[in-house]
Amino acid sequence: MVAPPDNDVIWARSLHHSHNGSPGLGGVSIGVQDAEILAVTGPRGSGKTTLLHCLSGRLVPQQGEVWFNSVPVHTMAPRVREQLRRERFGWIASDPELVPELTVWENAALPLLLRGVSHRAARKAATEWLERLDIAAFAKKRPHALLQAQRQRISVARALAAQPTVIFADEPTATLHRADRTQVLRTLTTAARSHGITVVLATHDAEVAALADRAVALLDGRRVATVTPPAEPEAEGRAACSLSV
Amino acid sequence: MLALRLARGSHPLVLVRRLLVAAASAGVGFLLLCALGYAAAHPASAGSVLRLLWCFVPLAATVQFAVAVARTDPSTRPRPGLSSMGLGPVRLSALAAVSTAVSTTLGSMVALLFFLHLRGDLTGMPFDGGAAEFLGAGTPLPPAAALMLLALVPVAASTASALALRSRPDPARDTFGSEELPEPAPAPAGLPWGVALTAAGLAVEAYASRGPAGNAFPLPGRFDATPVAVLIGWTLTAVGLAMAGPSLTHLCGRALQAVRPGAVRLLAGRVLMNEAHRIGRPLGVVCAVLSAVIAASALYGGDERPYGPLTALGAVLVLGCTTATLLTSSLEAKHARAHTVEALLRMGAPAATLRKATALRAGALLALFAPLTWVIAQLAALPLAD
Repeated sequence: MVAPPDNDVIWARSLHHSHNGSPGLGGVSIGVQDAEILAVTGPRGSGKTTLLHCLSGRLVPQQGEVWFNSVPVHTMAPRVREQLRRERFGWIASDPELVPELTVWENAALPLLLRGVSHRAARKAATEWLERLDIAAFAKKRPHALLQAQRQRISVARALAAQPTVIFADEPTATLHRADRTQVLRTLTTAARSHGITVVLATHDAEVAALADRAVALLDGRRVATVTPPAEPEAEGRAACSLSV
Repeated sequence: MLALRLARGSHPLVLVRRLLVAAASAGVGFLLLCALGYAAAHPASAGSVLRLLWCFVPLAATVQFAVAVARTDPSTRPRPGLSSMGLGPVRLSALAAVSTAVSTTLGSMVALLFFLHLRGDLTGMPFDGGAAEFLGAGTPLPPAAALMLLALVPVAASTASALALRSRPDPARDTFGSEELPEPAPAPAGLPWGVALTAAGLAVEAYASRGPAGNAFPLPGRFDATPVAVLIGWTLTAVGLAMAGPSLTHLCGRALQAVRPGAVRLLAGRVLMNEAHRIGRPLGVVCAVLSAVIAASALYGGDERPYGPLTALGAVLVLGCTTATLLTSSLEAKHARAHTVEALLRMGAPAATLRKATALRAGALLALFAPLTWVIAQLAALPLAD
């Protein structure tokens, strides 16, 4: 076991994972430095989500190592990994994944409440972030009454209010229109830079990836230099894979 | 055929639930046939109508259970894949009706065989004609009446489940698997009606029992002057409790999440408020049934032979079906929240917190409904006791 470099918050080596036999990751190594915004790019199905799950400890890779702040994550017990996710990581998915029974501010304060922070402190932190993200006016509404873009901003506020070390954002803008997309991404990246939060951002969009400090491309579960697939062979190559259908 | 194919691939627990429906249907079919046998053997007795009427209590409980099982059945849950193939909520409700009809008809057939066996019409097994006299052997049964009684449960259960499932929304999912957030149900408003009906039921019963002394309220085993008013009173009380159930559950949830809640109380209370519609009604029904059982055992517990085997079968059916309905409904509520729970776990919520929230909900409901049941039972038994 090789100890990871000191300046990397998260460091992973030759991750292999398959979902019930279908290949997910095939030997990905990656290092994420402190307070950087790293984009993981690639088309759908290239293993971005699986990689983020492995890095955040939600999934234990079948082979390979994941280290967080020089602590091995892949050997942790499930309970410790859960605690790590709760205390140090934030997660923004493409779907806001809000709890429909709770109001907007309660949703944003939920990670803090789950940590055992007092009601008042959690409410204060959540309201502050909702104000910064321009949705404080809806703080007492339920998520069902809001637009998708507003829900996604709540999800961002929920991740930021818990003051995590690393935020994993898995296609955070996939279900949004371009105007909303820009606002959500700008808020996320600005807040991350001003608070020194590391962000691992999975996206298939080159525009989104341009906001990051560094980009890592994945294709079919492997790291590649660019995601442009090799050019199609011309007409004579097609005959070889013709099927009678 | 699709119903059978889906049933073949389903989880054993789902099959067990369907078998329970079949067993309940068998019990009700047997009770109905017994009533028919008694009526055929004693054509002049007024008690035979009463026996038949008593059978409708387990019948109603069985239909309620069958509907609850059909609602939880994973094979008839609206699925986006099937919906895009044209198998939307309407066709799925037909599918649910067919599978309910299959299991209840199976139960009815078992009931018929068992009944004929105990009467001594079918031979070759132990206990042939074990209860021949009791079941009115010797007088031929009218086949049309027997078939109609046996068809009651399948027809009622499949119609009810088709109607209940028809109004289910079709969940629209987009390509990322995100689900439209459902509109939260409004706070249930049945509390005033429920309280009024319960009070009216207790009052009617108290008023009726002022009449001539003697056995004020005979169980179906004995047939001396049943005061109809007492029955009406108990029915009103039961309906009132079923109506008040959702509101009481909602209030319970509201109390849980009041005054600066932490994560556990917040989740427990809000989820209970949201689930009030789903589990409140079966909870009210269980409360009514339990209070009736407590009242009946307080009234007749001292007797040497308080009830006959058929009454016992009916009571077991009603108790079992209502309790199973409550459990099935809470299972349905759990399935409906599976998406949220998954999101919470992904966020790093400890599983212990979620378990604590569930335990808190159960404890709060118990703390509210157990004393309520006891009080209603005491109030129901009070005027009949002397």
